[in-house]
Amino acid sequence: MQDKINYFRKATLSMKISEFEVPPMQDLLIIGKKAPIGPEAVKRMAQALSPEQFTIIKLEHAKIEAVLIRNSLLQMLDEHLLIQIILEEADRLISDNMVLRSELKISLSVQREVELQ
Amino acid sequence: MKVSEFMSSPVHTVSSDRSVQYVSDRMNELKVGSLAVSDYGTTIGIVTSRDLRSSHPNRIVADAMTPNPISVSTEQFAWDALATMERHCIERLLVTRENQVVGIVTRETLQIKLNRIVDPLTGLYRAPYIQQIGEHFLNRGTSFQLLFIDLNNFGEINKMYGHPVGDDILIEYSNRLRAITTGQDYVCRYAGDEFVVITCREDNEAKRLIEALSEPVVIQTAKISAAVGVASDYAVPDFYARTFRELISRASLLSTSLKQNSLV
Repeated sequence: MQDKINYFRKATLSMKISEFEVPPMQDLLIIGKKAPIGPEAVKRMAQALSPEQFTIIKLEHAKIEAVLIRNSLLQMLDEHLLIQIILEEADRLISDNMVLRSELKISLSVQREVELQ
Repeated sequence: MKVSEFMSSPVHTVSSDRSVQYVSDRMNELKVGSLAVSDYGTTIGIVTSRDLRSSHPNRIVADAMTPNPISVSTEQFAWDALATMERHCIERLLVTRENQVVGIVTRETLQIKLNRIVDPLTGLYRAPYIQQIGEHFLNRGTSFQLLFIDLNNFGEINKMYGHPVGDDILIEYSNRLRAITTGQDYVCRYAGDEFVVITCREDNEAKRLIEALSEPVVIQTAKISAAVGVASDYAVPDFYARTFRELISRASLLSTSLKQNSLV
């Protein structure tokens, strides 16, 4: 009886609020062949959240099934060149059940010489 | 022997945004090995238990299914459907009627059923196969020629070399038939040392086939020749009004008379 009087239950709630980034994806998603989310689902997610901004490229690769890539990157660099670089770098890190996200920024530096008048 | 006789129906469907886990549970519940994937009334794929085994349960069906599924019509012959599955290395076909999916047929079902009409010695289909094809063409008025091939002196070969050698010769002759026929020809071992070919080739091509079949060949040191009786729409009056049985009789009698003439 004494025990019951001293018995009580409490729940603690904690909450963190931060800004939801739109789009929530970065520049690239690299999808493993056995990843929990497949290319079609990724494509639908990207289309729902950032319409017309991403392209899914399916690949013939031992571990990687597809790459979701921001369209603006494809406009700046040749697709084959871009995919080749992505695969070379991701291949060392990825296993077939992973999805990797990546930032990919392209910066152009120009130096020109002009004749002075 | 039409696909409609062997298909399972009705077809259970799932939309492409459901999870692999959901589909797995649904298949267990329905006790089926596959579901058609349908979005907004259009069939876009098929998902099988094999697809599920190789996919993460969190994936959506769109990422696990086989897209653009191959289909056959309810009116196609079972052996054509089986050949389609073999050609595409697949285990299931959707069955359609007037562009609506009405069933699914599996390779295993067709193989079991069709094995009943396959000759175990030569692997060729037996008489019921050629009869169905012949009747189908007659009903549709499709032009064809029926070749009744009777091996000459096969009884003597059996007596001379023994029945096991005779069987080997039948096997090799059947292989030769397979080799010289094309997609326009339908071949069966009709009975004993008799074979029937239905050919839809153009006349000149058909003549070349008949000549090739009539040429003697040497199989295991035995010289094998055949008498080929032909029933065709230009040689037989009221060809399409006749029964298949009548055409077989006519071609077999022709082959017998060719055989007798060769002995004179």
